[in-house]
Amino acid sequence: MPIAGFVITVMPEDIHKVTETLGSMKNVELHGDDGKGNIIAVLDTETSEDMDKLVKDINRVDGVLSAGLTYFNAEDEVERMDRGEYVPSRSFGNKPLFPE
Amino acid sequence: MGLSRREFIKRTAALTAASYVGMNLPIKESGKAEASDGTTWHRGTCRLCGTGCRVDLGVKNGKAVALRGVTDSRTNMGYLCMKGMLFYKLMGHPDRLTKPLYRASKSEPFKEISWDEALDIASKKFAESVKKYGNDSVAYYGSGQALTEETYIFQKVMRAGLQTNNVEGNPRLCMASAVGGYITSFGADEPIGSYANLELAKCFFIIGSNTAEAHPVLFRRIMRRKLDHKDEVKVINADPRVSPTSRIADMHLQFLPGTDLAMLHAMAYVIIEEGLTDKDFIENYAVFRIGKDKKQVDFEEYKKFLKDYTPEKASRICGGNITPDKIRTVARWFATSGGTVSLWTMGINQRKRGVWANNLIHNLHIITGQLCKPGADSLSLTGQPNACGGVREGGGLCHILPAHRLVKKDKLRHQVEDLWGVPRGRIPPKPGYHTMAMFTAVNQGKIKAMWVNCTSPAQSLPNCDLYNKGLAREDFFLIVTDIFPTRTTEYANLILPTAFHFEKTGVYGCTERRSQLTRKAVNAPGEAKPEVWIVREWAKRLARDLNDPIIARTVAPFDGLEEDFALPEAIWNEYSQKLTKGRDNDLRGATYEVLSQMADGVQWPAPTREFALKGGTVIKFVKGYDPLATEHSKDDKPYQFYGPAHPDRKLWVWLRPYKGPEEMPDLEYPFYLSTGRVIDHWHTSSMTGRITELMRANPYAYIEINPEDAKRLGIKPGDMVEVASRRGRNLLPAKVYEGPVKGMVFVYWYDQAESRMINKVTKDAYDPGSKEPEFKICACRIRRVSGPEPLQPFLVELK
Repeated sequence: MPIAGFVITVMPEDIHKVTETLGSMKNVELHGDDGKGNIIAVLDTETSEDMDKLVKDINRVDGVLSAGLTYFNAEDEVERMDRGEYVPSRSFGNKPLFPE
Repeated sequence: MGLSRREFIKRTAALTAASYVGMNLPIKESGKAEASDGTTWHRGTCRLCGTGCRVDLGVKNGKAVALRGVTDSRTNMGYLCMKGMLFYKLMGHPDRLTKPLYRASKSEPFKEISWDEALDIASKKFAESVKKYGNDSVAYYGSGQALTEETYIFQKVMRAGLQTNNVEGNPRLCMASAVGGYITSFGADEPIGSYANLELAKCFFIIGSNTAEAHPVLFRRIMRRKLDHKDEVKVINADPRVSPTSRIADMHLQFLPGTDLAMLHAMAYVIIEEGLTDKDFIENYAVFRIGKDKKQVDFEEYKKFLKDYTPEKASRICGGNITPDKIRTVARWFATSGGTVSLWTMGINQRKRGVWANNLIHNLHIITGQLCKPGADSLSLTGQPNACGGVREGGGLCHILPAHRLVKKDKLRHQVEDLWGVPRGRIPPKPGYHTMAMFTAVNQGKIKAMWVNCTSPAQSLPNCDLYNKGLAREDFFLIVTDIFPTRTTEYANLILPTAFHFEKTGVYGCTERRSQLTRKAVNAPGEAKPEVWIVREWAKRLARDLNDPIIARTVAPFDGLEEDFALPEAIWNEYSQKLTKGRDNDLRGATYEVLSQMADGVQWPAPTREFALKGGTVIKFVKGYDPLATEHSKDDKPYQFYGPAHPDRKLWVWLRPYKGPEEMPDLEYPFYLSTGRVIDHWHTSSMTGRITELMRANPYAYIEINPEDAKRLGIKPGDMVEVASRRGRNLLPAKVYEGPVKGMVFVYWYDQAESRMINKVTKDAYDPGSKEPEFKICACRIRRVSGPEPLQPFLVELK
């Protein structure tokens, strides 16, 4: 279950509106802002795919200029892959070289 | 993951993010011991663009599990993008190539073989070709993603060992025009300034670059600068396509593809007409030149030349939304800002007149004196992590030897031969085939054996179907080193699996002359090996098969060294200590020992350890910043343009006439076609396509069509549209969008599906100076074929 720290940058005049929208989003934890349009957020999702989608959703919020990643941890997901509990999708090609 | 561990990681994430903007959170920094529990952090850079973002890779139980930025780094200040965030997924991906694979005939299936067998075959085939067809019947085609050590050792074996300059690489397809521009305008390759100017600039002139999607971390810096100084800082975005980069622009200049040469001249016209030039700078540092023979003319001649490019005339040529007033406004902003930084990428470089387009941007900087001072620079952004460090500096193109030496200059060639300890005359005096000539020679049966390393020309060459006919020839032997199957491995006889980033050690040199070290942090899967080991072992066999001890001499200094650190370090030492000594990219101070201490590497020139430990040269040519400017000083002026290509030590303002693209729309093919990237994917998507999150976000390429054109042709969003040129066709879903200018369509080039590989359609015309192809512009026609169809994403797997 990946966890990431983000600095989300918005136009300073939009900060309240954007904070409200972000605050209502699932899996987004806000830790305040610096008064210059930088919002501190922690994202905690079920899978990396959910994380990617969530970041895209954040980028689409009106007033958001960028979501800057600062820290990312996916040790849980990697461990699950190692234990065989989670198999990432294979690529989308046709015939594998060595059919299992 | 237990709750406490999970909470701890969340806290770390919050504290890390807060530290970037100087915030103190009411969270206790307890549990640090738990943080380090089992996780080790390894230094390196991201490899998914040319910015050079510094990252630490977190490894737990031998697996990559986490990433963090490094706030002290002057490239990314700690920030990363989504591509960078997810690249750890490529390590241990089930599609990784893990064993050498061979087939004698391209119609056969591959079979696994041992490394011994593979290297013997690689050597035998190259040796046979050399014996039977001559030295120039073999070739190396490399990559701006290969480490400097890899490019350097490959080209050394090819030139001094196999005695051919058939050494090329994919930076020919992206950076060659920028190289040509820097050399002809400033006398030396690579930018004068650094990213440091982004926080000091008062005006950004972004042309032919979708920085927001292609260089998101740098865009963040530009955006921050703009937000913090809204009224003081102007952002100009000039591009035939409105992109996410335009959203912070004060003005978007949207012109018809290929007409920007006229616009740039018109800006110069306005600057001169309104008396906005920097007369002192011009008088002290500039000359004016015209034509192939570089004839020097005076300022009055330049003024006269520009009379053909009044804003009124240029706006008629440019079309789109360009008006004389807009040209006048941006020219004033550019000239009077007090610090202008221009940024560009492929929109300028991938052009029939790419070098000229580069020259005309530099012209604006020279005549306004917007160079060599804080906040001012003419900065070509690089698309790949090591196009600068490895290929431009390490000797990875057919006409250049390591450290910016020209093959054709006897003195420089002999210097290299002496430094390598091989007899003079060993390196041929004639440059090899440039990329398009190289693949033409494959088509013609002149090249019989080729090694493609870490790139996929079968998808990335323009008009690729034509060149893939050559790759498919049974009398052409192809070796591919890579981490995944690609469109190019489909034509290979021998596939050699390589270690990926952080699975080996080496240096990348990014856009701003900065070299950074990435150290091995995890083991490569299966039998994948670092390229430096592969080349060394191959060269020893070549010496045997060709009975040529000189070939063995090219790798003798590296014999027996372990491959993960000692071997790349020894190669780097030879290159940096011997080859760059006394050259403009002097890297002698940037040893592995020094690079391992720096938060963000070293910018050349950095001739001494002491200077390298301060970070190196932030601004080239300026006394007090650049030690070579002091060393080569000829007078008491503060700037010394000592670049090797300009013996007059001047910056050259070029009188280049306006020329349009090679292929213009006509009745039969009435649209312009341009191509580019989308944020989630990189190049041919052999990596990003295998990160499920990125692939699902953009599973296939679209054709972007202006709403007015779509309406006229009855095309609705999602409809299947055929795009055809004189060379080939694609069938793509439509994205109807106010992006491309009316009369132009735009297609992403990452998709590997046969029906969506846009380089089947692009044109292989190339710049006569830089030999870089005009990917960005050709003529096409479009038609609606059907309504929306269910589509499948596609990636090549080996058959």
